[in-house]
Amino acid sequence: MTDKKKISAQKMNVDLATQVLNQLPTPVFAVNNDMEIIFMNKPGQDLLGMELDDILGSHCYTLMQSHHCETPECRMQLARETGKTCTARNEINIDGRLTPIEYTAAPLFDDNGELIGGLEYAIDITERVRDEKRLREQSRTIQEISTPAISLWDGIVVLPVLGVVDSLRAKQMMNTMLLKIKETSAKTIILDIQGVAAVDTAVANHLIKITKATKLMGCRCIISGMSPAVAESLVHLGIDLGDVATNSTLRDALGDAFTLMSLEVKKTK
Amino acid sequence: MMRLRQNEIVDESRIELVDISDAGAAIGAARHMAAAIGFEETDQYLIATAVSELATNMIKYAGRGELTVRFIRNEERDGFEVMAIDSGPGIKNVEKAMQEHFSTGDSLGLGLPGVKRIMDELYIESRSGSGTQCVARKWRDCDA
Repeated sequence: MTDKKKISAQKMNVDLATQVLNQLPTPVFAVNNDMEIIFMNKPGQDLLGMELDDILGSHCYTLMQSHHCETPECRMQLARETGKTCTARNEINIDGRLTPIEYTAAPLFDDNGELIGGLEYAIDITERVRDEKRLREQSRTIQEISTPAISLWDGIVVLPVLGVVDSLRAKQMMNTMLLKIKETSAKTIILDIQGVAAVDTAVANHLIKITKATKLMGCRCIISGMSPAVAESLVHLGIDLGDVATNSTLRDALGDAFTLMSLEVKKTK
Repeated sequence: MMRLRQNEIVDESRIELVDISDAGAAIGAARHMAAAIGFEETDQYLIATAVSELATNMIKYAGRGELTVRFIRNEERDGFEVMAIDSGPGIKNVEKAMQEHFSTGDSLGLGLPGVKRIMDELYIESRSGSGTQCVARKWRDCDA
């Protein structure tokens, strides 16, 4: 940097700062301690479709009308309370048009370090949200095809469960199982939960319902894949699986199923 | 405001929850964080289960929200912290929600008391109609 340039950089004045902020291609604004807007750059004004004079002095939440406005989720409040920069995703409502944004709020201090309000900038994330939606649909598809019911033996069906069990998935599992029972006249169903990410109360609830439904179809249900961690978490959560038969491994469960069906596996002489 | 934190944040990761399939990401992040803190496998799973419980609750009752898992540290020990914030309808009666077998939805009503049992600390702040904030912590090598 030459001396000349240094001087001009030091001389950065209010006008230049305003120009920079106005030409920064994303909305930027600041509020005072009463959440009244004290500054908004040009893209922010354009987004709201309002003149600066009409914006200044208004409460930010009356103009933005986002999901976070006037709730504990408001990052502007959080940033002012904690003194830390906060980023979150949100949706703003301008004239009934919803735009997904990611906004970052930070506390605003004066030269003496006194908190005088907060500042915020927002980025339009419409594209990102669309991509995520696509990803979500894909993961749902993967989930849908990842609940196969396998006929392991005459009268024994195995259903390995992987990933996250939500209510939609639990319904699918239930349907898959009941249909399979009907098709194969299975007498024993083994539900293997070794690959379930976490067995919380909601998942346990689904599992209990599934075992009840299989019982109604005249079929026994064994839950296998009870690792020490799963067992401990069920105890902590206070979940009583009642009279549902459980096993630590699929192998044990199969052994039990054979015993229940009076089958014996023998080594050939 | 929730009691101010006296703990240093060593690392944190934030997960936006808008769909139940995001719970998987929250569970994964929790496990990963718990492993980084040095919790044993069983504890990792327990922590992930507690986080899963909070995430499932949030999506079920508020529709969406945000979950942050943290590696925290104070003068004495390291620990895991999860913070769940949503702007849903809020919990009408926090005391009641903490009771065994109390549920307003169609569930076992064991969730929050279960989280409390798994974790060492659980704070819930909720105003009916304007969201809920839950903070739960579990310390390493600490028998609560």
